[in-house]
Amino acid sequence: MTTPTPMLLLRASEVTGRPVVTLSGELVAEIKDVVFERSGGRIAGFTLRNPGLFSRSRKDSLPWVGVHGIGRDAVMVADETVLIAANELAPRKQSRDADVLQDRVLTDNGRDLGRVVDVVLHSGTSLDVVGYEIEASEALGTAGRHVFIPLPDTVAVSGENLIVPAAATEFVSEDLAGFGAAVGAFRARLREGAS
Amino acid sequence: MLFSQARKRDVVNTATATRVARVDGFVVLPGPARVALLRLGKVSGAGTLLAWEDVRGFGPDAVTVATDAVIRPPRDGLEQRAEDNDLEILGKRVLTERGMELGSITDVDFDPETGAVTTLITKTETLAGQRMIGLGGYAVVVSD
Repeated sequence: MTTPTPMLLLRASEVTGRPVVTLSGELVAEIKDVVFERSGGRIAGFTLRNPGLFSRSRKDSLPWVGVHGIGRDAVMVADETVLIAANELAPRKQSRDADVLQDRVLTDNGRDLGRVVDVVLHSGTSLDVVGYEIEASEALGTAGRHVFIPLPDTVAVSGENLIVPAAATEFVSEDLAGFGAAVGAFRARLREGAS
Repeated sequence: MLFSQARKRDVVNTATATRVARVDGFVVLPGPARVALLRLGKVSGAGTLLAWEDVRGFGPDAVTVATDAVIRPPRDGLEQRAEDNDLEILGKRVLTERGMELGSITDVDFDPETGAVTTLITKTETLAGQRMIGLGGYAVVVSD
């Protein structure tokens, strides 16, 4: 019997600077930046730089599907063949506005919950974007504070707005530690509602 | 037997009954985790590597070989890296395949009969040897 890995959550911004390591234990690169996808509010992948103090950007990048695991200390990949050309990950023009940061989060019943300041990832047996860290609006009663809001499996995105189910407001967390349970409870609720 | 106990052991040629080298280190390879080569010091020739298959016995007091000819230079890129110490397992950081660091390797337990690595030891963890999936210049990678 194996013990299940506890749900590990981390902010996308925290991944910056992490080493990219193959399963053979070789250092490939460092994460330079997170590239967000316009459709779906998810992550397209990561731009890379060479490891070291005076490191230069690289012409290759790491697509989300090429990630084997993301943890506190490293981003793991099977091997270097998962890397693709940086312009394949996000064409230059698109990457400038393909960013969920600062987007407004609206509930499906039309309440503005605040603006996205970071994206919360989950690394376990599968990788997933599980929520947003937002700067809360008046609607949440914690205006101006940073809180975490869970996401369902899919999110509707339109230009500047991310639409989440209204029930998400019942599962808001003030800290990342308690957020894992909130995501689980929120998704369980949505599944009940759908059946 | 622990690497820390097995290091510095004399390598003895059983044909001439003379000491021909000393064990300086161990080259571990994954899949399954095993001691593939010994790195030797105090050698008389140019080579410093001894393949595990060429070891006659890994005893409590000495490592025996049938002839000095089995002590040889690296044969390929991997062995060259091993000789250059790039693949030294002791002191190397351990990462899980999910990117969590579990400290650095402080010692390794192995079976002196087969060379199989049974346990990887860090300051805080004792990991089964079969969890090791990779060993490179940067890290030892273990399964979750």
